[in-house]
Amino acid sequence: MDLLLDGFQTALTPENLLFALIGVLLGTAVGVLPGIGPAMALALLLPVTYSVGVDSAIIMFAGIYYGGMYGGSTTSILLNTPGESSSVITAIEGNKMAKSGRAAQALATAAIGSFVAGTIGTVLLWVLVPRVADIVVTLGAPSYFAVMVLAFFAVTMVLGSSKLRGFISLFLGLGIALVGTATGQARLTFGNAQLADGIDVVVVAVGIFAIGEALWVAAHLRRKPLEIIPVGQPWMSRDDWKRSWKPWLRGTAFGFPFGAVPAGGAEVPTFLSYATEQKLSKHPEEFGKGAIEGVAGPEAANNASAAGTMLPLLTLGLPTTATATIMLLALQSYGIQPGPQLLTNEPALVWGLLASLVIANALLLVINLPMAPLWAKLLQIPRPQLYAGILFFATLGAYTANFAPFDLALLVALGLLGLAMRRFGLPVLPLIVGVILGPALELQLTTALQISDGDVSTLWGEPVAVAVYAVIGLMLVAMAVGAVRGRRTPAAPATPTENDETEELVNR
Amino acid sequence: MSIVVAYSADRYGEAALDHAVGLARKDGTRLVIVNATQGGSLVDRRFAHDADIEAVRDRLVAEGLTVVVRHEVVPDVADAVVAAAEEEQATLIVVGIRHRTPVGKLLLGSVAQRIILEAHSPVLAVKPAAE
Amino acid sequence: MTTTDTNPTGETRASATVVDKAQYGLAGFLVIAGGYVLYDASTLDKAFADQPVQPYALPYLVGAALLLLGVLLAVATARGDKPEAEEGEDVDLSQGTDLRTIGLLVAVLVANLLLIDWLGWAITGALLFAGTTYVLGSRTWVRNLAIGAALSFGSWYGFYVGLGLPIPAGILDGVL
Repeated sequence: MDLLLDGFQTALTPENLLFALIGVLLGTAVGVLPGIGPAMALALLLPVTYSVGVDSAIIMFAGIYYGGMYGGSTTSILLNTPGESSSVITAIEGNKMAKSGRAAQALATAAIGSFVAGTIGTVLLWVLVPRVADIVVTLGAPSYFAVMVLAFFAVTMVLGSSKLRGFISLFLGLGIALVGTATGQARLTFGNAQLADGIDVVVVAVGIFAIGEALWVAAHLRRKPLEIIPVGQPWMSRDDWKRSWKPWLRGTAFGFPFGAVPAGGAEVPTFLSYATEQKLSKHPEEFGKGAIEGVAGPEAANNASAAGTMLPLLTLGLPTTATATIMLLALQSYGIQPGPQLLTNEPALVWGLLASLVIANALLLVINLPMAPLWAKLLQIPRPQLYAGILFFATLGAYTANFAPFDLALLVALGLLGLAMRRFGLPVLPLIVGVILGPALELQLTTALQISDGDVSTLWGEPVAVAVYAVIGLMLVAMAVGAVRGRRTPAAPATPTENDETEELVNR
Repeated sequence: MSIVVAYSADRYGEAALDHAVGLARKDGTRLVIVNATQGGSLVDRRFAHDADIEAVRDRLVAEGLTVVVRHEVVPDVADAVVAAAEEEQATLIVVGIRHRTPVGKLLLGSVAQRIILEAHSPVLAVKPAAE
Repeated sequence: MTTTDTNPTGETRASATVVDKAQYGLAGFLVIAGGYVLYDASTLDKAFADQPVQPYALPYLVGAALLLLGVLLAVATARGDKPEAEEGEDVDLSQGTDLRTIGLLVAVLVANLLLIDWLGWAITGALLFAGTTYVLGSRTWVRNLAIGAALSFGSWYGFYVGLGLPIPAGILDGVL
């Protein structure tokens, strides 16, 4: 409790409050803007870590993470363009509400629901982070190695539709991580001295997230403007409140655990929440036509899951979303190794962050409810300037890593890789997780074997490790069974009829 | 013989359209409504929704007018209006104009101004009632 | 430079039996990359006594995996497996890939990296912004150049004053 109060003291200094405010404003903006998401925004902002204090930077990044969720729901509702798969449901149901003249209520239930879920999620973090950290600290290197292998399998297999492409992406990432002389010998440096220190992870992140995305969008620019639904100040009637509060709580209950498990993600809980609300609703006939429960529940689930991802990030050093991956990267650039020791070594930082999450949430509610029409104006920024701006800041970010034109060449190459990945449907997350956790994996393996004097059996010498390998085994079996079944009954092509699609995804 | 109106989905466009409809009704001329966008941004408020422009056309057709709608994405809005006037052999182009400060003119330029300068037919500039 | 007119991808998507041939390219890339990682691993020496994990252990694993995945992808492609290209708020997949825009954007980025040592970020950054807006279809190039200059000079001073990082100034050394 004292630690939490100290955390609030850290978070409430004028400087950190300012960074939290900048974070939520930037986050909402990038959430609203097309073609730029929180992960890309964080990648572009990594240079600030060169001189801003670690607590301020992390507080700002967390604000962007949460803000991106809020902003994303605004565009989903007003434009029916889900920026991320976790807001597909919001786009369907919220846009239907908006079209029937209830845009204000849809925005309000999304914003307040996100606030409720984010706040409950943060309180759960206050309770869980110290307890989980206590357990995790007792894990030895073998168990930790096993957990990392699990994380690799989880991000690769659970997300995305094609496991093959997930693994391709993961091993490409591990390959990039090999470059350099970390083991004392030059690996994959092509005899180039500038590759001896390895490829700067900032360059990888900016290249894949920002340049790759900008090139991909530029190659497929939508020309016809989307039809935006005009909106006033969001508000809800007494009846809307009555219909919303239970879905908010249930959505939170779905979202948090999924976020907290490696690779649970935010998609599945939003679909689960939607299906649940449809079953429990007194107005099931409104679903698919703009039911407020269908916005309230999934939006809460979405945000609770974002809070949940902080648990593995802060206790294990395992990122489960692209945005969390970049936050981990930011911590690393301060020389802080996120992992089991983080809470012990950096209590002020962790508690400051946990306290600031509540503040960020409150700020977001304040800036989103009255200012929704203002945010919608951002959608009128002309595309050429928007994407040129992304390329500009991406180049700047990569250049400031070392002030070396060579890094810019790498940036272009990685940008083209990012473009190809989007063209061929390769998920981005496994690659970036591979790049970041690859070296850590090698390190944990080395540590484990050093302790055991090279005896390999130490790897399954701890009960936790055995349990984790059993989970991985189960996942592989499930994948094999799924593949066999999938071959027998070829999966029906995804139909745009919303109800069928959600059913299908829920049943998966 | 036709009247071309440069329509935008705001009060300036409405003013131009109202005026053009009045003229077309009086003389019985064909009305060509041009609502175009460059498609440069995700949202262009002056580009009417498909359903809205349909409604406008249906309303005018119901009144007995001959109406052609050009609702399209073009490289340049002013060029599109001028080209439409040429193709439809317009006797008149109606545009809505707004007040701009000198600085605003410098920065943004004006579609209406370019239509006035580049069109070969007479151009009528209309302002909304209370500017 | 006529790639925008010929539009093969749009047609291949329509019919189900056609194989996505470009995916063989990706498979080939994976095989070559995997092969090179394996070759590179074979050139590494044995580790020092305090290194229980050989420096070539992970490279062998990664190289073999990439090789295998490349083969699997080629097989899957031959069987008619097609990628799901990434969707987005601003992405219209009904049109083919606009290779010309990509090529020009990459050209601008490469020009930037070639010139940055000589001219410095303050100048190349402005050119980068103006060049990419032009490629992306904006024709108000005076305004774009002005915005670009404001951004690049602003970021130069922002990094210098705000973050304490002097970005190399190039030929403007001493002027900025």
